[in-house]
Amino acid sequence: MTGDVPLVDPDEVLRVMEYYADRGWTDGLPVVPVTESYLSRFLARTDRDPADVVLAMPHLNRTCTVRLAAINAAMAGCRPEYFPVVLAAWESLKKDGAVPRAIWQSTTGTAPFLIVNGPVRSAIGLNSKGNVFGSGFRANATIGRAIRLTAINAFGLRPGQLDQATQGTLAKYSACIAENEEDSPWPPLHVDHGFDPADSTVTAMVIRSFLHIEARHTTAPEQLAMDFVTSIRRTGVLVYSGIGTCLVLGPEHAHVFDRAGWGKAEIQRFLYEHATIGRAVLAAVGKDAVSRHTRWRLPSDHPDALPVEEADSVHMLHSPAAVRVIVAGANNAGVSAIIEPFGPGGARAPAITKIAALR
Amino acid sequence: MADGILLERAGVPAVSICTDAFRVTAAAMAEAYGFPGYEYVALPHPVASLDEEQIRARVSDALPEVLRILGVAEP
Repeated sequence: MTGDVPLVDPDEVLRVMEYYADRGWTDGLPVVPVTESYLSRFLARTDRDPADVVLAMPHLNRTCTVRLAAINAAMAGCRPEYFPVVLAAWESLKKDGAVPRAIWQSTTGTAPFLIVNGPVRSAIGLNSKGNVFGSGFRANATIGRAIRLTAINAFGLRPGQLDQATQGTLAKYSACIAENEEDSPWPPLHVDHGFDPADSTVTAMVIRSFLHIEARHTTAPEQLAMDFVTSIRRTGVLVYSGIGTCLVLGPEHAHVFDRAGWGKAEIQRFLYEHATIGRAVLAAVGKDAVSRHTRWRLPSDHPDALPVEEADSVHMLHSPAAVRVIVAGANNAGVSAIIEPFGPGGARAPAITKIAALR
Repeated sequence: MADGILLERAGVPAVSICTDAFRVTAAAMAEAYGFPGYEYVALPHPVASLDEEQIRARVSDALPEVLRILGVAEP
């Protein structure tokens, strides 16, 4: 053998791979085999008891323990030192509320989306810059995937069985980014919500879609903000009366706002005030009223419809606070993204958990 | 499915109803509750886009099957 190329029997490796695949313990990609000794390296990274419940889904009679979360993190390809991040992600998904209440079984087809802040980003190599939503970064790819594999293996949320997603989303494979705190003109997300800059945190939300926003031409904050506004006010996203949204600003866009004296609060207020949609547009798609039972949008002549308010236009967003603003991506072009969370959420504080000290 | 099974176990007669697009999930859910083979009524899919009259028709069509599973005679 030459250099540090490991000596393996490929037939054995393939046999193990197929063993896991045959049992359905996968998202479709090969998984890493886990032994008790390898598992113990993950469990050594936390003070929590392996039997501790990480998340319960009472409607399924199923729980995920620290041990099960660790097995699936290892299978996903995480290194043991990523495990505290995975545990914090689970805590935030629990706080977000929709996950324990069966959202992952819904036909809507949502995915967990994780945002990591603080020093842990550089400690474990989480990407916050170029290709932040793309491939090529082990920590991002495997921490996000650890959540999916756990959903499949611990909760039995397999497509077509307990996972009823009509189409799902590509984010179901993995959706974990770090905030680009270094290229942001503003304090990072976790600091906005009372954490110390030296804390490392995971924020979780349940999302449905990503919209690409390209605006390289402008230095006027109003023009740039209107590009977000006209992207936010689309009828297809409306299930309930209104929505929350999450701007993932490329650093260049963040600096356009900052140079004009806009902070996150100014962006939030502008988007809330301008992202309105005409009653006639809603009526044209049959979403001009809400159900008295479910608060879902439906036509005003539907028997369940509440009487329509009188305003000619309605706010798409619940409130200025329903707009999350984070900074991620390379500082190399006027490119950003809008992430659309599920449901009426966004009015609450985001679900953020401090990551226990890395060991 | 879960609600129907839990009600039955609590001694409250119940029949679960879903559309035929959800048969696989319905069976998986019944299995998760330790009740493989749980009987339920499957309506033709879809339901969400039907009007009031069509909904009433679906209910009328399903009623005999609901009563059969409940174990009561049709009036």
